[in-house]
Amino acid sequence: MKPILNIQDVSKSFGKEQILSHIDLTLEQNTVLSLVGSSGSGKTTLLKIIAGLETQDSGTIYLHGEEVSNMKPQHRNSIYLYQEALLFPHLNVFENIAFGLRLRKTPEALLKQKVTEMVSFLGMETHATKMSHQLSGGQRQRVSFGRAMIIEPSLLLLDEPFGALDSVTREKMQVLFKDLAKQMQISAVFVTHDLKEAIVMGDSIGKITKGELTQFSDLKSFYNDKDSGIKKEVEFWKQFN
Amino acid sequence: MKRILQYIFMISIGFPLVFLLVLSLGRQWPYPSVFPKQMTLANWEFMQESSSKLFQTFFTSLGISLTVAFLVTALCFFVSKRIAYSKNRNTYLVLAYIPYLLSPVILAVIFQYYFNIAQLTGTALGVIIAQFLIAFPFGVIIYLNFWNENLKATEELSYTLGGSTFQTFKKVLFPLSKNAILLCFFQVFLISWFEYGLTNLIGIGKVRTLTVSVFNFVNEANIFYAALACCLLVVPPMILVYINKKFIFFVEKNEA
Repeated sequence: MKPILNIQDVSKSFGKEQILSHIDLTLEQNTVLSLVGSSGSGKTTLLKIIAGLETQDSGTIYLHGEEVSNMKPQHRNSIYLYQEALLFPHLNVFENIAFGLRLRKTPEALLKQKVTEMVSFLGMETHATKMSHQLSGGQRQRVSFGRAMIIEPSLLLLDEPFGALDSVTREKMQVLFKDLAKQMQISAVFVTHDLKEAIVMGDSIGKITKGELTQFSDLKSFYNDKDSGIKKEVEFWKQFN
Repeated sequence: MKRILQYIFMISIGFPLVFLLVLSLGRQWPYPSVFPKQMTLANWEFMQESSSKLFQTFFTSLGISLTVAFLVTALCFFVSKRIAYSKNRNTYLVLAYIPYLLSPVILAVIFQYYFNIAQLTGTALGVIIAQFLIAFPFGVIIYLNFWNENLKATEELSYTLGGSTFQTFKKVLFPLSKNAILLCFFQVFLISWFEYGLTNLIGIGKVRTLTVSVFNFVNEANIFYAALACCLLVVPPMILVYINKKFIFFVEKNEA
């Protein structure tokens, strides 16, 4: 199968500080890659480079086999989602979800049908006319996902999207995302600090350490890697058994 | 007690306005009379006389202030964004305060030489450019706090959702910045509207704005005409305060 995302030898520095060093990465279609790494390791920069919001110093990026290294973000069909839901505060839930379709000048009848379906899928029927400040953190994040998914992006780039949520809401959102990703055949790169979340969400895992990426072919090899931190965590919980 | 304080506040705002209106209608007001001996519309009829040019002055002032406010509001929106996200944000911010450390009159003296060479002194265009140079840094300062990381992320999100630069401006940045734009427009309009020293120096008496006229009437000891000009002078700011209250304050209250 042809990879949806192929990154070759991407490097990036800010001033004298090297953030990413010769990154190679591939992502198969309809799979989720969890990306872990400590703060400042370069995860966000890599995601922003893929989205076209930052420019790499060197290297090439292919999406669907097409080189997009110098393409503007609006033409990449890759959506970058932040930790914050970033709903447009001047629009209600319905209009937030419809935003991308309106940009594409989707006919009104089709737009209403698609948005209504998405609102229903997200379980937000009773909140469709609410403004963002009337929603809880989890509800906002749902709308944010719906707004992204409705335009059927080639690639979803998620930068710790559940980082600001409490543990219960976080688990619910993980389930919702897995369902959405499966139903809509989404390919995604999922950045997280949380090792458990990385395993739950990802079909494969990558780890960035000081700007260098190690991509594990499967979850087992990640578990067996001595630097992954997984074994330490398992040992920690074992002591309470 | 609270009600008394409210009344005192209202009187302190309303009294000067009523006083100006009475003064503009009055004639012959010798000490110690409480009110003018004669109340007449003659002073207001003076506005219509072709020699007085007070109407013309009013519209010249309005034209200059609206032009300056529009130019500064539009340009500062984009310039302030660049500055806010620049690495040298603080340096630019310090530079923006310099015109206010020097005072507009001193700047006008500095400008005057160059404006003479460019033959801009004594022209409305010269006054507009001079006022623009004073108000521009102020516009940047007003906008600077509006731009923040959250807004930047929202803008970037719009791009990744497929929005072009224009679509993002129209559908995201403009609606979110409406209050900041109105605030900047009002503030710059007021700076320009009440500007005297710089306008007088660059306009060299040929460009008569309402503020300059008020000072001229005061210098001529013509308090009735000065009051009349003052009445005209406070009309646009009062309209702006009303719009400000209706459209900004009311919206913010509803959002809260």
